[in-house]
Amino acid sequence: MQVGSGAVAAARLAAEKKDPRARRITAILVAPGTIWMILFLVVPMLMMVYVSFWTQKTFTIEPTLTVRSWVAFFSSETYFGALLRTIKIWLIVLAATFFVGYPTALFIGLFIKNKTIQTIVLVLCVVPFWTSFLIRVLAWRPMLGKEGAVNIVLQKIGVISQPIEVLLFTEFSVVIGMTQIYVVFMVGPIAFMLSRIDPSLIEAARDLGASTWRIFRTIIFPLSLPGVVVGAIFVSVMVLGEFATSGALSGRKVNLLGNIIVTQVGSLKWAFAAVVGVILTAVMAVVVAALLRLVDLKKEL
Amino acid sequence: MTAILDIQNVTKLYGNEVALDDLSVSLEANEYISLLGPSGSGKSTLLRVIAGFEKPDAGEIFLEGTSLVGIPAHKRGIGFVSQSFALFPHMSVFDNVAFGLRHREDEPVRDEGEITRRVNDMLALVGLVDLGDRGVNQISGGQKQRVALARTLVADPKIILLDEPLGALDANLRSRMRVELRRIRQQLGITFMHVTGNEQEALTMGDRVAVLDSGRLVQIADPDTVYNRPASARVARFLDCYNMFEGRCEDGDRFVAGGSSFPYLPAEDAQAGPGIYCVRFDKIRVAPASEASRPGEVGVRATFITSEYSGPSIMYFFEGQGSKVLEVEYHLSHRQPDEFSPGSEYALLWSPGDALVYF
Repeated sequence: MQVGSGAVAAARLAAEKKDPRARRITAILVAPGTIWMILFLVVPMLMMVYVSFWTQKTFTIEPTLTVRSWVAFFSSETYFGALLRTIKIWLIVLAATFFVGYPTALFIGLFIKNKTIQTIVLVLCVVPFWTSFLIRVLAWRPMLGKEGAVNIVLQKIGVISQPIEVLLFTEFSVVIGMTQIYVVFMVGPIAFMLSRIDPSLIEAARDLGASTWRIFRTIIFPLSLPGVVVGAIFVSVMVLGEFATSGALSGRKVNLLGNIIVTQVGSLKWAFAAVVGVILTAVMAVVVAALLRLVDLKKEL
Repeated sequence: MTAILDIQNVTKLYGNEVALDDLSVSLEANEYISLLGPSGSGKSTLLRVIAGFEKPDAGEIFLEGTSLVGIPAHKRGIGFVSQSFALFPHMSVFDNVAFGLRHREDEPVRDEGEITRRVNDMLALVGLVDLGDRGVNQISGGQKQRVALARTLVADPKIILLDEPLGALDANLRSRMRVELRRIRQQLGITFMHVTGNEQEALTMGDRVAVLDSGRLVQIADPDTVYNRPASARVARFLDCYNMFEGRCEDGDRFVAGGSSFPYLPAEDAQAGPGIYCVRFDKIRVAPASEASRPGEVGVRATFITSEYSGPSIMYFFEGQGSKVLEVEYHLSHRQPDEFSPGSEYALLWSPGDALVYF
């Protein structure tokens, strides 16, 4: 007993002796990241909040604090409407990427048993990303246009007699474009989670008498939920800040918060752009926080 | 005794590999049968065929007289406990056990009160009374094993198939779970079929032991018979408690292996020709080389190499003719271990009546 406690005390002493050194190493390792985050994330964010209260003159801003830009945002149909539209498009795209992405992920993660083929197929999903963002978006114009591929095909097979005009330069085309671009961010994390499900779990559930649908609902889907949440976070963050797709595929008719920031900055309205930026950041923060509440990622991953 | 499960001429191929080769065996109601075989012998395949996870290429399986051909796994009334336990990680112990009752396709139990009662009864049976609320990752390996068992048992299956159920447990827990499994089975009175690659486990657990080799059933008998009278040299080799001499029988009562020749008690099917002569490790007496053998004893000379002490018994390793390793086991309950000097020659002696000869 005495020997034991003596040894423990000695070990503790040694640990304490080592402690300052260990602490210094920790500090050195943590420092670059912390400094980086403070300089390029925390300070700019605080700056943005601060600037949003500055006074806007025609071409300049002055550091006289005012809430005029904020009032302008919430009292304007155009700007507040853009917020609502951004949220609406985000929800639709989120749902679309989920409904398109989940079956794909299910196929890759669960039905392809061979890990190598799994990886190959996942890489294939990323192949479209080898072309530039602009080309990927603009390629939808000849697809969805009045005389585009979709209309031609539908007319040829006699489904429609008149070309559908609402395909392009509407919210619909924006949603299509965004879904196509961002769906892969949904597929990846979900396929990853699905591929980690032990096949014996599904076998056990089947042996216990559950139907395929039940097994999906009670076992497969809950176990893939962390992947869905991670995918949703990726998609949300990207869609909420989007401006290029809506710019290129809506003919400037669909204005999102991102588009407003671009135009405001373009006309040197920094204070107002800052207001929109703060609101956008706040929305993203709320969305991410809400998604993280769904599952405990630290526990699941 | 009535057969509850009748497996008739089942063959299963994986490509060109024959996993099960025209195998027939029948299980009786209310018995614990252990299925012993080396890895690759087809024992897991047999279990999966019975459970319905694999389709046999030929043959039929009858459960209580009804053919199981074409009946999917979950409608067979056969429970399956896999080696990895396959517990649902996102559910509590209670929900795992309740899974079958709640989610099965046929006659799910809708009354939560009944579910609670049945699950709690089952948790009590396997000794997990207060653990229902725990997550399955917050319990030990032995407890997971019990949850897996309870989850299968709660649906009242007619037969439980256990695929190497103790393989994932440490030695201490393994021996405790052996006792537990037998108790639970006796309490419920249903048939357990327990697959294992461990001969010790097969002998302790089974009311009967079925030995599988290369997809064939080579012996099915009570543990005592399997241990003392293995049906073939392969079974004897797999039991890992026999010294085996390859040689030939001559004159109907002499066996010649290398330079040694020993008389043996002729069996009914004795014949001249190549054969294998087996003597169990614990049937051998070690004597100084100078000592004359007692009347009726036969033996070989061998050089002592080393010993291995395991508590209740001790193994001695000798090197016989042609660098053949011979093992001798002394049970230490009524004697002290002997001291032999490494490198010295000794006589290994046994009575011919203890020897088994296979052709």
